[in-house]
Amino acid sequence: MTSPAEDVDVAAARPQPRRGVSLRDAGPPIALVVVFLVFAALSSQFRSIENIQNILDAAAVLGVVTCGITFVLMMGSIDLSSPGVMGASALAVALLVQNNRNDNDFGLLGVALAVALGAALGALSGSALVLLKVPSFMTTLGVSAIGLGIATLMFSGVQPNISDEMLGSWATERLIGLSYLTWIAIGCILLGWLIQRYTRLGRYAFAIGGAEEVLSLSGVKVAPYKVAVFTLAGAFYGLGGVMVTSQLGAGLVQAGDGYDFSAITAAVVGGTLLIGGRGGVLHSAVGVLLIVVLTNGLVQIGVSPYWQGGVQGFIVVAAVAAAVIPQRRRNQVVK
Amino acid sequence: MSIEVESQAAASVPARVPALEVKGLVKHYPGVKALDGVDLVVHQNEVLGLAGENGAGKSTLLKALVGLVKPDAGEIYVRGEKVKLRSVDDAAVQGIGMVFQEQSLVPNLTAAENIVLGSEGAGVKAGLYRWSEMRRLAQEQFDKIGSHIDPLARTDTLSFADRQMVEIAKVLRIEQRSQHPPVIILDEPTSVLESKEIETLFTQVRRLREFASVVFVSHRLDEVLDVCDRVAVLRSGQSVGEVQTEGAQPADLHKMMIGSTGSDDHYHEGLAQPSEEERPRLTVRGLSAKTFRDVNLDVHAGEIVAVVGVHGSGREDVCRALFGAEPTTAGEVTLDGKKLDLSGTRAACAAGVGYVPAERKIEGMVGPMSVADNMTLAKQKSRCNGPLVVPTKQATLVDRWIERLSIRTPNRTTAIQRLSGGNQQKVVLARWLVGNDIRLLLLDHPTRGLDIGARSEVYRLMRELANNGVATVLLADSLEEAIGMADRIIVMSDGKVASEMPCRTGAKPTPLDLVKEMV
Amino acid sequence: MTSPVVARPAAEPTVVKGGPSLSARVTSFMPVIALVVLLAALTIADPGFFTQRSLTAASMTAAPLIVMAVGATLVVLCGGIDLSIAAMASLSTVFLALWLPSLGALSTPAVIAAAAAFGAVQGVLHVVLRIPSFIVTLGGMSVFSAIALVVSDAGTVPVTDNSTLNWLTLYLGGIVPMSVVVALLVVTGIWVIMRFTPIQSWITATGYSESAARLAGSPVDYVKIGAFCVSGACAGLAAVMLVSRNFSGNPSMADNLLLPAVAAIVVGGTAITGGHGSVWRSVAGALVVTLLRVGLPIVGVPSAWEQILYGAIIVAAVALTLDRSKVLIIK
Repeated sequence: MTSPAEDVDVAAARPQPRRGVSLRDAGPPIALVVVFLVFAALSSQFRSIENIQNILDAAAVLGVVTCGITFVLMMGSIDLSSPGVMGASALAVALLVQNNRNDNDFGLLGVALAVALGAALGALSGSALVLLKVPSFMTTLGVSAIGLGIATLMFSGVQPNISDEMLGSWATERLIGLSYLTWIAIGCILLGWLIQRYTRLGRYAFAIGGAEEVLSLSGVKVAPYKVAVFTLAGAFYGLGGVMVTSQLGAGLVQAGDGYDFSAITAAVVGGTLLIGGRGGVLHSAVGVLLIVVLTNGLVQIGVSPYWQGGVQGFIVVAAVAAAVIPQRRRNQVVK
Repeated sequence: MSIEVESQAAASVPARVPALEVKGLVKHYPGVKALDGVDLVVHQNEVLGLAGENGAGKSTLLKALVGLVKPDAGEIYVRGEKVKLRSVDDAAVQGIGMVFQEQSLVPNLTAAENIVLGSEGAGVKAGLYRWSEMRRLAQEQFDKIGSHIDPLARTDTLSFADRQMVEIAKVLRIEQRSQHPPVIILDEPTSVLESKEIETLFTQVRRLREFASVVFVSHRLDEVLDVCDRVAVLRSGQSVGEVQTEGAQPADLHKMMIGSTGSDDHYHEGLAQPSEEERPRLTVRGLSAKTFRDVNLDVHAGEIVAVVGVHGSGREDVCRALFGAEPTTAGEVTLDGKKLDLSGTRAACAAGVGYVPAERKIEGMVGPMSVADNMTLAKQKSRCNGPLVVPTKQATLVDRWIERLSIRTPNRTTAIQRLSGGNQQKVVLARWLVGNDIRLLLLDHPTRGLDIGARSEVYRLMRELANNGVATVLLADSLEEAIGMADRIIVMSDGKVASEMPCRTGAKPTPLDLVKEMV
Repeated sequence: MTSPVVARPAAEPTVVKGGPSLSARVTSFMPVIALVVLLAALTIADPGFFTQRSLTAASMTAAPLIVMAVGATLVVLCGGIDLSIAAMASLSTVFLALWLPSLGALSTPAVIAAAAAFGAVQGVLHVVLRIPSFIVTLGGMSVFSAIALVVSDAGTVPVTDNSTLNWLTLYLGGIVPMSVVVALLVVTGIWVIMRFTPIQSWITATGYSESAARLAGSPVDYVKIGAFCVSGACAGLAAVMLVSRNFSGNPSMADNLLLPAVAAIVVGGTAITGGHGSVWRSVAGALVVTLLRVGLPIVGVPSAWEQILYGAIIVAAVALTLDRSKVLIIK
């Protein structure tokens, strides 16, 4: 899926055919179809057109955020910063487009600035990782807190409600049955896939996850690429925050609550390994749909929506375990 | 293209100027002098062999040549000009590249990407990949060595030998960067190859000589003599001479490598007391796992049994399996007639089995912990009364062992990582002795990275333990060590026991006898 | 650090060079220095701060944080991380509030036992399935939150009869809050058990070099499960303190304690890479964090800066204490 080799020379005889890979790649889509069919059979509500639109709309923000985190995971790093980054960009965009707090009316430029803020916070995570050599789960935890603080500062006690028509229409207007937000998410996934396959940034992110030390041995300076990947991820989270603001019609500090974990879950379920070097944006997109279908379906058949996070918790542990078990060794170090 | 032709022509005129010259290279590591004034000359279009025992400084020298190690003193000249190599990149610009022993390819990238990695040139424009151009660039390199690997195949789908070809193709790309005939270093390229693949590799090396200089490192002396024009020998971080391969014998090289240590009973054979035990202490029957199968083995009390085999023979895994550190699939192991529980390391420890791992710094010791705590780590009971630690008990015990093994340390609270390698290893060994219940000792390369003096002390300790009735399984660092220390030698090959030969003093096999069984 | 202190003159210098560097020495005193500096600064900013009343109040705020941070410190010492402590404490407040009417005085030990059991489950999953600890506990975090939401129906559970928890709100000698006493007793207990049994060695060895510990026959798996278990129990105890103060349980009551707890651990100087550190360091770290919390408003800094400060502190403190020799590639 991620290597151009696989669609080029299928006929060439390989010394070691790797059946495991195709199974790994095929597993999540099969699971998606199965889960979908099961819920469709269980609930007539679930299989209605409106609900499927709902599912796709609900998947939009998570899709964009997951797209960003996928690049980080591909490197073998982790990113817990999305709640903070999304909160900051949500507040930023709410205060930059037409709103009830100030006279700003920057429109698309405001959106761009909010995304840029996200990218800047991402760059901060990446820089702390490569300059201070602090593991990414710590830097991103810290940057998340910083983002939330910035958001709280901008919030300053009064909720900014947006009255910008353009941004408001993202969540409400539809094109061929899908909301603008969904189209934006599809665009992001496409962009992410192109980056992953055709840019040096994407390929190096993949290679860093595969064997970082080899890149250094080959004279590649990996640090700038790591910062760039975190920056890219931050930009995606920033866009995610903007999209949440569009959905809510207001800028909230909590705009990104829980998205860090959902995005990791989606990426892992889609087949991106936490140790890096495997998976990709398309894998993650399938994972996002799987997660959203599952949570939506559970609600449709009457499970309390409060369980949503719990179900994701179980899924991620199970998915990681399933990915790890084949490579388990007895004297293995796991932190 | 015209530039390249010119520079090649220019470079070939003063043919007397060596492609690479090293003068008085020195490198210290904490406690070890890895390089102690090494001199080396690599002529143009020459295949130079580099021979030396483990720890002679070969890998440090190679790393210095590709900018991975910064020497403390000495000079490196490339085509007569003095250079400073600070990184692999620096070395590549000068035309020096290395094929690493542990393959250095990114497994999840294509062969083409690996070949151009770090110097994509026309393959990447404005950060965007041009796959067709990548393919062409890679093909160009493959054509040089006549390889037919698909450039767009994912690297981890290729065979080991193919990956090595990719690696050579990758190294050859420095020719484009330096605009000079390259110097290619091959570090133990044959260690995991089968004989047919080795032949292909040698053809490749001879081909490289047409347009490059090659430094060839291998522990198989016959190979070195076969493929090289000249062999330089290192011993204890010093250049001890060189041999023209025409008509030279492996034995000549070998003598230069080990020097004169053989004469003064390096292995303390005088201390050897043949074991009188009839019943074996350790019996292994049909032990199998992923990497070995159906291994049978007996070790008597007081006996040292060496297990030898090439990389991939499975001997390390047998050793670890006996300690419960690797899972097994079948087989029965008894220790003094009682079934040995192989489910984990704790059970093995409790049964009186001790293990000294090869990677001392990572697996053998806990670096920042004190000598005392490292020594009592495995046998906590030795410092406790009931469940409670008694500091004075630990102090007395540890001090006694520090003295008995003459471990040189300021005191028992010093962090073990501050000791020299030999003293570290003695603490790791002492760990199994403080409990006074050791019955079987598994030694995985116990002398790796130690200097000659420290090695000798470890050998003497092994003898003393054996004379006290400890059964020892030794995975030796070299065949000489195995022959010198063992009472019996087991040869493993492809995960199976290939043969067994007695090795009593006076009736020792030669390294050649063993090599025949190993391959 | 861990060995008996029987003075003995240093022998001839046969060792390899290099004891602890100057920066290492400074960082080892970092929490104490930070504590003193903060106290001094706050006293200068507000002379009324250095009084028995406000110090008592500050220490009472610190108690749950100390307990949580100390529990999680054990996990960090083993080289892992426990991100579930805050959610675990929130869940525990809900349990406690729900169980108090029926179990009465027994509900406190019951809640702590339940939290310990949840912690142990996470430890088992981490050890048996070989899943990185931060993923297990991140998963645990959302599972615990979900359980708390479901059993509390996403609302506050009021505690009407507070009599069995009342003792925690008393003051020892009229000055020292009982909760602080309990917190210090717990820390001392953990420290004594570690110090005078092989557990200290096992934890340190596991944290510094897990494979070496395992190959020396240390019970690495049990030690890790135990650490998660204690971490859970401590979160449970912190929940008891919170309920005794707030007279209610809430599914998100302790959620905002995660960052301060992690900050307390790393500010204390416990290395996130494992092995190096101690529970007392986390006590100092928790006091530093608490002083920052109560001190910022005194100095006139908006509370939003608190979050930003936590973020910056965590990154900076980890950068200072990280054992870089161990991890060649930082992911």
